[in-house]
Amino acid sequence: MTVQQNVAQATPTINLPTINLQGNHACALGAVAAGCRFYAGYPITPSSEVAERLAKELPKVGGVFLQMEDEIASIAATLGASMGGVKAMTATSGPGFSLKQENLGYGMKAEIPCVVVNVMRGGPSTGMPTRPAQGDLMQARWGTHGDHPVVALTPGSVEEIYQQTARAFALSEKLRIPVIVLFDESLGHLEETITLPDVTEYENTIRKWATGKPEDYKPYKADADGVPPMARPGDGYRVHTTGLIVAEGGFPTQKADVVAPVMKRLLDKIEINNDLVESFEDIDCQDAEVVVVALGIVGRSAKKAVRELRQQGIKAGLFRPITLWPFPTKSFRALTKKAKYFVVAEMNAGQLILEIGAAKVDKQSVSGLNRYDGEPISPSLIKQAVKEVLGHE
Amino acid sequence: MTTSNKKNLEMRFSGAGGQGLQLCAKIFSKALIGEGYHVSMSQSYEPTSRGGLSRADIVASGDTPDYPLTTELDVLLILDQAAVNASEGIIRDDATVIIDPRRTKNPPQGNFKVIALPLSETAIKLGSERITNVVATGVIAALSHDIPLDIVEGALKSISPKKFLALNMDALHAGVELARGLKTA
Amino acid sequence: MNEQATLKSKEDMTQDDIRNFEIRDYLRLDLFPHFMCPGCGHGIALRALLWAIHAQGIDKDKLAIVSGIGCSGRVGTYIDANTYHTTHGRPLAFATGLKMARPDLHVVVITGDGDCLAIGGNHLIHAARRNLDITCLMLNNEIYGMTGGQVSPTTPADRFTTTTPAGNMEPVFDACRLAEAAGAGYVGREVTIHLPRLRDIIAEGLAYKGFSFIEVMSDCTEVNGRKNDLGSSPEMVLGQTRAMRPSEYDNNVVDHPFRPNSMNTGVLVRSNRPEYGTSYRNMVDKVQALQQKGQK
Repeated sequence: MTVQQNVAQATPTINLPTINLQGNHACALGAVAAGCRFYAGYPITPSSEVAERLAKELPKVGGVFLQMEDEIASIAATLGASMGGVKAMTATSGPGFSLKQENLGYGMKAEIPCVVVNVMRGGPSTGMPTRPAQGDLMQARWGTHGDHPVVALTPGSVEEIYQQTARAFALSEKLRIPVIVLFDESLGHLEETITLPDVTEYENTIRKWATGKPEDYKPYKADADGVPPMARPGDGYRVHTTGLIVAEGGFPTQKADVVAPVMKRLLDKIEINNDLVESFEDIDCQDAEVVVVALGIVGRSAKKAVRELRQQGIKAGLFRPITLWPFPTKSFRALTKKAKYFVVAEMNAGQLILEIGAAKVDKQSVSGLNRYDGEPISPSLIKQAVKEVLGHE
Repeated sequence: MTTSNKKNLEMRFSGAGGQGLQLCAKIFSKALIGEGYHVSMSQSYEPTSRGGLSRADIVASGDTPDYPLTTELDVLLILDQAAVNASEGIIRDDATVIIDPRRTKNPPQGNFKVIALPLSETAIKLGSERITNVVATGVIAALSHDIPLDIVEGALKSISPKKFLALNMDALHAGVELARGLKTA
Repeated sequence: MNEQATLKSKEDMTQDDIRNFEIRDYLRLDLFPHFMCPGCGHGIALRALLWAIHAQGIDKDKLAIVSGIGCSGRVGTYIDANTYHTTHGRPLAFATGLKMARPDLHVVVITGDGDCLAIGGNHLIHAARRNLDITCLMLNNEIYGMTGGQVSPTTPADRFTTTTPAGNMEPVFDACRLAEAAGAGYVGREVTIHLPRLRDIIAEGLAYKGFSFIEVMSDCTEVNGRKNDLGSSPEMVLGQTRAMRPSEYDNNVVDHPFRPNSMNTGVLVRSNRPEYGTSYRNMVDKVQALQQKGQK
């Protein structure tokens, strides 16, 4: 089994505490460990425990916790705090994630780091507030208007929620982009015995600040990594931040020849940093005849299923994206060359399968195992689906 | 961290919202962690705090389990009819199923052993139906081979608010007595 | 970074503070010509704001201007400071995060009647309730100007707009009373024709420790005035002035929620409510003290 994790492989140091922790609390603690000092949110099931824990933790470290008047204000205040130079986060669930989309797009366009957590519940609309689902995978990618890259992480355990929330801050700071963390209700409310991973490296990752003479500084002139250094208010740069498309100098433009390269850089920013962003877990994919693709809690279920199938002599493998967006297509293709079948197991009506359909090659066949009734997909259902595609009943 | 020779143990505490099923799970979770298990605790509930199906599950294992949710129950507690269907198909043949017949008229059918005990009646006699969950905890602790009673007592002590501690302890011991009655019968 | 921004009170401000004001010192001149239509009152409001900032001696590096969408939203772009042109209706929410994260900054919100009272109405009442140290300047031109002249929550009765072709039937908001009722510690209103008065109201608002809300009665000649035969800018501004009652002469008149001829100008509210940022930091100090005690 290999877990590819290119930003700061968490290396356990001495005496890391082993504790029992709920997923939502792990999210809150991972954020604080990564240096989050601002949180604004609005109560919503099943993510409220993230806020409740941060209301307790942030004052202890001199941070700010705000319960705002609504979901929109929560992400707006989060972006506002980040514009001021502080690592900031908001968390929500389905309906709140929908409400946050416009300002999420503002953050993407104005390149303001922050972390947006969506603890997914059954949808659409008010849906099933206390039931798990994975119905917001495509919303995380395409929820806001216009073209822009997205980074979304999908941890699969309580320990990974802690670690990936912390990593989300590091990626967000480094790439100047809001990073989305998606996990479902069952993980959010799951309590597991975990060893807290060391996230010092994530904590130490902060955005590039503008240096040099203010008159030479261009707010949207990027370095070789596609990321422009950010100006902090009070440091003498006095720049303009806007949702309008701007030239390198930071002021609005609608001239096609100026807009084209500006947009191109924004669109390419994540791709050129793919080594940093990409992460996934692969279990026995290389020689697998059937590869199960699943993430979050379903990834756990698939792990058990794949192990048991192997014991029965069936060549099954698991590909579990930890970075969902951008989807690690190249690595996926390279690892699953021998696969004849893909079973995409997901707690929605078929979203991840669209990506696998686009990533598969030649005659590889793709089938979906879907549940959208508010219940998780059990290992036995996955085993059964794998056997079905192989023709053994 | 943990010794991996521990066998997996799956427990479910189910009933109606407000019956304190999370507390049962918390007590056993604490006790099992104390015994060196890796414990995964999950829950399912309705958006309202009272009524409707509520359950709290424990998967205890020697190490991090591949899948942390229940698939084959070893122990199942049912405190209300509302919870009977929820566990259909995932109860092991050698499982112990404990029900409160006063509120569970149609218990689940299968090869497993169903033990009906006057849990809520015992609680009412002690002064409050609200401690039915603790009586049930005592029953399960007494019937279980994996968790020493003093560890469960300790866990209850650490969780219980001070003003309810005496009552909770009485309820726990009443549950233990109910289970012992079974064994001698 | 945690040091709070403090300014001069009205009494402490001298004539010298007000004199020697050169607006060019506060503008991004390379962005000129600006976008405002001839006769638009927003330019006067901008001048009043910059003059007040000058009178208060605020360091441009420590000044954050947060605006929303619409004509009012674009005004901030011309200010040589840290300027944030945010999303429609949300500048107060952005500003809340910014001010809590950076209490050392002077945070000024520039918003409009549509931005602040319609799409952003919820943020106004909650910003007022919290009483966080932000100065909010609402430029009220009684219309959605940027989108071509649709009815707004402050468009007077019977006005013709592109979305009220038979005249406006909806009652208007009295923004100042709304802000006051929601808890704003400092509330004022002025017409653009009284520039020095407007400047002084803003200067006092900047110094106020809490949420200060200032409504500037602006005029939109292009898509409001023209469509309603309200005349050119001077005529519109004079008309507005006639419709106002300076509060210092008219304090006893019971106000009405509906216009016309019923709105007071001047400083309408000065109160001593706890400022939210200070309360929050006091709570943090307490929590940290308790924690240290526990650790010993």
